[in-house]
Amino acid sequence: MRKETKHYDLIILGRGAAAFSAAIKGSEISKGEMTIAMIGTGPLGGTCVNVGCVPSKYLLEASHRVFMPKHPRIDGIYETIVDHDISAVMKGLRSYVSDARESKYAEVIKNYNNVTLYDGLGKFLDRKTVEIGDDREKKIGIVSGSNILIATGSHPSIPNIEGLRDAGYLTSDSLWGIDKLPSSVAIIGGGSIGLEIGQALLHFGSKVIIIEALDSLLPQTEPEIGSALRALLEKEGMQFYMRARIDSVHKYKGRKLVEIITHKGKEKIAVDEILVATGREPNTGSLNLEVAGVKTDSRGLILTESSMRTTSPGIYAAGDCVSKRLFLETLAAREGVIAVSNMFGETANIDYGSSTWAVFTYPQVAGVGMTENEFSKKNGSCLCRTFPLSNLTKASIMGETEGLIKITVDPKDNRIVGMQIMAPNATDIITEGAYAVRNGYTIDDIISTSHIFPSMSEGIKIAAQSFIRDITKMSCCVE
Amino acid sequence: MEEKNVKLRIYGMTCEDCVETISRSLLEQQGVMDVNISFQDGLGEVEIDPTQLKPENILKNQVFSRNSHYKATLIE
Repeated sequence: MRKETKHYDLIILGRGAAAFSAAIKGSEISKGEMTIAMIGTGPLGGTCVNVGCVPSKYLLEASHRVFMPKHPRIDGIYETIVDHDISAVMKGLRSYVSDARESKYAEVIKNYNNVTLYDGLGKFLDRKTVEIGDDREKKIGIVSGSNILIATGSHPSIPNIEGLRDAGYLTSDSLWGIDKLPSSVAIIGGGSIGLEIGQALLHFGSKVIIIEALDSLLPQTEPEIGSALRALLEKEGMQFYMRARIDSVHKYKGRKLVEIITHKGKEKIAVDEILVATGREPNTGSLNLEVAGVKTDSRGLILTESSMRTTSPGIYAAGDCVSKRLFLETLAAREGVIAVSNMFGETANIDYGSSTWAVFTYPQVAGVGMTENEFSKKNGSCLCRTFPLSNLTKASIMGETEGLIKITVDPKDNRIVGMQIMAPNATDIITEGAYAVRNGYTIDDIISTSHIFPSMSEGIKIAAQSFIRDITKMSCCVE
Repeated sequence: MEEKNVKLRIYGMTCEDCVETISRSLLEQQGVMDVNISFQDGLGEVEIDPTQLKPENILKNQVFSRNSHYKATLIE
């Protein structure tokens, strides 16, 4: 060991959700004896609290409070214009994020005397040793660890489009600094980030244009949901260019001119702002993973087993830098816990199959398990039913019938293998699907479980009943 | 037979009796040849027969089980 090297029981590269949950778990198991170095740059808490879930949900909630009163859905309730000040909304958002970061991360870590925070970037010198440097690569120190967890997260990926850098753009990292609503925005990417931010800006009053390379929105969802969500967003005024590619971007009279190529040919649109939402890429490029023997996939995401072990003994990875399908804060935190538990000899594995995911548009979209197509491809056949919310009493009372619930079951035993929901509170009621998929519940288990009438969750029960009868010929509360 | 030396970081020891308890349990594990634990440093060295015991399975010894006060991680 080098003379100047300080040794820790655990080195954590990163300071986001995975890093914090790992540090707390390690501290709990060892009753505060595990010495932990947490190395990272940027605000504590990582993507979720600073530039991810927290500010985006705040912005969405605020925007709905402006939009909904202007679009009442119940007879006798009249259109109301809500006075608002976007600059004050954004100030409130930043203040909320700052408070959440302080209370959930900065203050929390002060309770763990065994954790030392290093402000810098870590780079492997070998399998056990990490050099910490500042952003100009000036050496701050060297640490070694008996175990190492890589939890460095991700950053927005920026496509190589001619003129984009010169014209300027926002991302989901930089949007939160704005104080003025752009009157028009072109959003590159029709995934969850693009649609959530797009709907928030639309609800505040921006003209929003989504440019998507694929022919459908949200490719991880059932096609019925992608289509239904698109129809609803179009009704609200969002414009879509599908199967579209951006040829170039130019500044033009104080605006930004986006040249789009579709099957119809070239088209130019002038907007005030561009938001790039084409996905995220892992923060693994400067870690020097090769010397540590840690392998990545072609996108630089770290390959792990379900135990979160990497290809190098004693090195684990968790969070958005890991090669997987779902990139979620809740998963990152779970992976951090699993990695640390396994360092202590437990046999813990991540279960992606019953992990829930969500898109926080209004209505929300949430899912768990396999889609109809995924299950059929794997097993040859499947059974599924789609239940439209137009048949659900609670949804029709609310006047919010655009959504649906789709359940996929294994035809051999009626076990629920997947559920997707588009509904105002899909993120709350999908947990029933998660229990079902995780524990192997059947449609009979759902039907024989009491559900409140009238409620959105009752929709899951009726969707299950649609496997055994024609629900259009069914009165309320039939078991 | 070639013995392998495995180093452990051991947590939860409060006195020399803890050293005794952990050592005894480890020595009962198949494949463990010798144990040397330092209470002061919270470290342990275990000589194992690698044909009978993998280093990571030392951590599965019941003295480090979920309900035990003692926990350990591999150092190398």
